Amino acid sequence: MRHRLLLPVLASALLLASFLGGGPVRAADSGPPGASSCTGCHAAKRIPDSVIPRIAGRKASDIVQFMREYRSGAWPSSVMGRIAKGFDDQQIDAIAAWFAAQPE
Amino acid sequence: MATRRTFLKLTAAASLAAPSIASAQASGRVVVVGGGFGGATAARTLKALEPKLTVTLVEPNPVFTACPFSNNVLAALREISQQQFGYDGVQKAGVVLAQTSATAVDASGKSVTLSDGSKLAYDRLVLSPGIDINWGALPGYDESAAEKMPHAWKAGAQTVLLRQQLQAMDDGGLVIISSPANPFRCPPGPYERASLIAYWLKIWKPKSKLLILDSKDAFSKQRLFQNAWAQMYPGLIEWVSLSQGGKVTAVDAASLTVATDFARHKAAVANIIPPQKAGTIAQKAGVADRTGWCPVEPVAFESTLQPGIHVIGDSAIMGGMPKSAFAANAQAKVCAAAIVELLAGRKPVDPILINTCYSLVAPDYGISVAGVYRPDKGVLADIPGAGGNSPLEVVGGFRGQEALYASSWFKTITTEVFG
Repeated sequence: MRHRLLLPVLASALLLASFLGGGPVRAADSGPPGASSCTGCHAAKRIPDSVIPRIAGRKASDIVQFMREYRSGAWPSSVMGRIAKGFDDQQIDAIAAWFAAQPE
Repeated sequence: MATRRTFLKLTAAASLAAPSIASAQASGRVVVVGGGFGGATAARTLKALEPKLTVTLVEPNPVFTACPFSNNVLAALREISQQQFGYDGVQKAGVVLAQTSATAVDASGKSVTLSDGSKLAYDRLVLSPGIDINWGALPGYDESAAEKMPHAWKAGAQTVLLRQQLQAMDDGGLVIISSPANPFRCPPGPYERASLIAYWLKIWKPKSKLLILDSKDAFSKQRLFQNAWAQMYPGLIEWVSLSQGGKVTAVDAASLTVATDFARHKAAVANIIPPQKAGTIAQKAGVADRTGWCPVEPVAFESTLQPGIHVIGDSAIMGGMPKSAFAANAQAKVCAAAIVELLAGRKPVDPILINTCYSLVAPDYGISVAGVYRPDKGVLADIPGAGGNSPLEVVGGFRGQEALYASSWFKTITTEVFG
């Protein structure tokens, strides 16, 4: 019963998404500059027993805050402070928004 | 009621939108040669970004043996099987695997010749062949010499051979590592190797010594390594720089002799890390220059010598980016995204790339270098103010934490690329 109701809703949502997106629906999106390099450590897949935090699906505002504090040194880090210094606010915002939109 | 004007606007928008949708549907054939961190990543990413593409990965080995963490195998901290990964995951991701060698590339005809003589046509070609040993660059060092004096700079049988030689060595023996001039695969690798062999010698063969004969006066993470050696392996590791006469000028495999301009050293175990060049197929495709490496532009990593051919990973000249697995993986993802754009008739945007590279000085003592890069004046340049080494002075469990990050990174990247 629920499926029957859901299907047309899904279909129209997809249609709407394709219009709003202004282009074809892609299977995946490579993200803003810098984002794809992050996945070398912060993977799309779930990695058991990893000490590296998963950031896919995290709130964009949280990612932005961490990156800014790593960059300023307000939050201690090993490698992230050195990496964050390569990105300006706008670039960090774009990367954070992209990770927030990835499946958790 | 819609006015004539809004109606016109709408139809204009529709007619503009229609062709853009059609041209944006990137379909085509991409061939990727080389199934390491660069090539396997490129193939998977291409397929994930644009499922309509036919992506063929040409790789003769059924199993990939990873170089990162292979120094742990030498120190009996890991087994070689833990370095090995098959291509099931890559195939399940929709990549066609051609388990054979590429023997030639016809850049103008856009095809790759395989070892059985058949040809694979492509719209875009990605070469990620890694390194080949530059046989002949070091007098006395050829393929048969490498069976006596392993390079172990391509992980696999050579790694196992070097480990066996270390295990068979008498306590008190001299281990020699010869380190080449820049550029070469994994700049901190020889020094991580020296560290982990020293770690193992200190436990099992404490009367032994390790001599690094270097063709350079400086190396990656140098002060971090040297400080740690003084602290953990005092008197065990000796580093001889280029200006101190460290450059190895010839070797004799039969007598395990390593010669410099000033001395002849008789080794119990000799690990010769020789001069290198881009993988053979890069030379055959005409994308390598006189240096032996492949110049590329910094946005899509397309060869500056042969259009339509992209080169990534260790074989490419990537400006400030070192030859590392992390870098190859990062370049592969950028290259794949750019190829999808190019096939759709769009211009790829300028990328930003990151490199992060961990080295172990001991199993629980890690150090790192990072860099952030962007295209600048035709090359990938370091973004000023970013990147750098681990701090020289640290408190608490910093080095231990970096060792944990190192192993988590390896687990992550191998799962992403091969899982």
